Amino acid sequence: MTTVAAAGRFNLRREPMFPLWSIAGVAAVVAILATYPLYGTEYVMNLLGMFVCFSIFALSISLIWGFAGILSLGQAIYFGMGAYFIALSLKLSYAAENPTRYGGTIPDYMEWNGLTEVPTIMAPLMHIEVAIVCLLFFPTLLAFIFGVITFKRHIYGVYCAVITLAEALILQEFIIEYQAYTGGFNGITDYETYNNMYFLWVILGVAVLLFAASRLLTHSRIGTVLKSVRDNDVRAEFNGYEVANYRIFVFCFASMMAAIAGGLYAAWMGIVSHLDTGPILSIEGVIWAAVGGRATVIGPFIGTFLVKGAEFFLSEQLAWAWQLVMGLLFIFVVKFMPDGIMGTIGKSIAMGRQRAAYAESEDAFQSGPMAVITRLRSAFTDGNRGFMDNLLGRSGRRD
Amino acid sequence: MGDAVLTQFFSGFSLVAILIIAALGLAVIFGVAGVINMAHGEFIMVGAYVASVVQSGLGGNTFWSIPICFVAVGLLGLVVERTVIRGLYDRPLETLLATWGVSLILIVIIKMIFGTELHYVGSPEMLQGGFPAPGNLPFPWYRLFLILLSILLLVLTFVLFFRTKFGLAVRAVRRNRSMSEAMGINTARVDMLIFAYGSGLAGVAGAVLAPIKTVSPTMGFPYAVDSFMVLVMGGVGNLLGVPVGAAIIGEGETILAFLFNSVIGKLLVFLLIVLVIRIVPRGIFGYQERTLGHRR
Repeated sequence: MTTVAAAGRFNLRREPMFPLWSIAGVAAVVAILATYPLYGTEYVMNLLGMFVCFSIFALSISLIWGFAGILSLGQAIYFGMGAYFIALSLKLSYAAENPTRYGGTIPDYMEWNGLTEVPTIMAPLMHIEVAIVCLLFFPTLLAFIFGVITFKRHIYGVYCAVITLAEALILQEFIIEYQAYTGGFNGITDYETYNNMYFLWVILGVAVLLFAASRLLTHSRIGTVLKSVRDNDVRAEFNGYEVANYRIFVFCFASMMAAIAGGLYAAWMGIVSHLDTGPILSIEGVIWAAVGGRATVIGPFIGTFLVKGAEFFLSEQLAWAWQLVMGLLFIFVVKFMPDGIMGTIGKSIAMGRQRAAYAESEDAFQSGPMAVITRLRSAFTDGNRGFMDNLLGRSGRRD
Repeated sequence: MGDAVLTQFFSGFSLVAILIIAALGLAVIFGVAGVINMAHGEFIMVGAYVASVVQSGLGGNTFWSIPICFVAVGLLGLVVERTVIRGLYDRPLETLLATWGVSLILIVIIKMIFGTELHYVGSPEMLQGGFPAPGNLPFPWYRLFLILLSILLLVLTFVLFFRTKFGLAVRAVRRNRSMSEAMGINTARVDMLIFAYGSGLAGVAGAVLAPIKTVSPTMGFPYAVDSFMVLVMGGVGNLLGVPVGAAIIGEGETILAFLFNSVIGKLLVFLLIVLVIRIVPRGIFGYQERTLGHRR
């Protein structure tokens, strides 16, 4: 190991923020998805838009779990909040223009549950602008409050996962219980949806923006600190970083992202139900991120398309088989592929590069004028080999 | 009003007892092995199905099904530990995901064997009916049985942990894993047996839950979440954490559900839990290891 330090220096070569291959890849994928409605079926277009929304959601999980080490099993809370804001807004404006069977101008489910007018607190949501502001503000606020309560007290890991899980379960029950306001078990449906090629472009545009923003975030200084917090928070604290603040920031950012994904999903699908806020969707999001590669930005996208695509393909054949496959997938990914697809590929590329750099430096330092200095230095530092072995560059004895 | 609340207080005892029985296994597994067993609810569900088989197939009642479920689900836990969890002990968050996968698989298997319809399991004849208690409602014998059983299980676990040689090893592993390994304790064996014991307790919970709840493939998940809440509230550092956490959550949910409704009750209890861990992050009886390593 004569040139470990030198090889290390070669590793510090930073990747460009957006490597050429990634720009080309994203452009190709976006082009395929954006033009799909021109020649494809409506059913598949529907699925593609949904998958893109879910991949933004999975990206938000990957940000907090893969990059900051917070496993939240309630990320669907924020997704669902965003979805409900948009769905409610669209439903209210739809109801105002299209009277129900009994002539009311309020959403039909409210009428069934004995309301005669829209509750004043909900009325402003009729304007989509208000709903979008709410979508951006309230989920982030909730995430902030949650983060201040837990992260400031060093509650994360297992405890955080369990508490967020309970949170999601309670929100789900809340929505089912207060059906006059939320549509209850059936959810909100039957409103004007945005299910066309142009809105698919909107979804794709937002997705590209958010993926780029995540790449910027994770490869910035903040991202580096977050990774060190994930790997060893106590040491990060010793180095003077206020660990909790970094966690709160990324948690809020990811929650806002999940809410945006939810809002797009509601406008695209035309139905939002309690299932979109519950623990099941949260955990499914975790597995999408895990399959694709939780500590990568593009992994969640790939994971979502693979798993969700397989789900639609398989559950058409055998409904019960899908759950079995899902269960086995969980175990397989955790046990044999903890880095996910992209993480594993990335690691092997990095390893190859390291080897190449090492070989390169080995060559340079074996023959060039630097060789004498390197050997002299390692002669004093490399305890594994004898002094003379080091000096002469012999392999020497090894333990 | 006060009288009615008192009645609710007494009827809350059964929820407390159920929570103790359900959470005890989870506390043992989490406290000693450090594994988050998301399949705990499904282990309870499997226990309930075994109880229904014991009743319909063998003609035995709950008293028979308790030991049978303990052994059956304990063996199931042993298999799961050997196949899935082994090798993941240093990654607690990942055991959570892997055991979630186990729970999905268990639900599918039970659905394939028993179908999706609900199963009915009767309570033993000698425990039917009740006796008058303070308040208006009679106090069912079965509820008293649940309370006694939960106390019995707590005492048994206490004896196992604090009065046997195996328990000494368990507590040593819980305190300092690498040091107990250096002392010659086979920690892998301790983990395995503890996981089987905790799973067996889940089986017992399923056996006693079957007569009072509908038995269906998806019945387990809410119990798992409630049990986790008990652990978060009470802490896993001490066996007392389970009954105290269960008492606060069970009574809180029952009384608040009566005063408002069940969802508000759950929400308020959840807020209380968040408040408690804000003050004592490791639960009421938990303790924070002094570590310079990565906090988990």
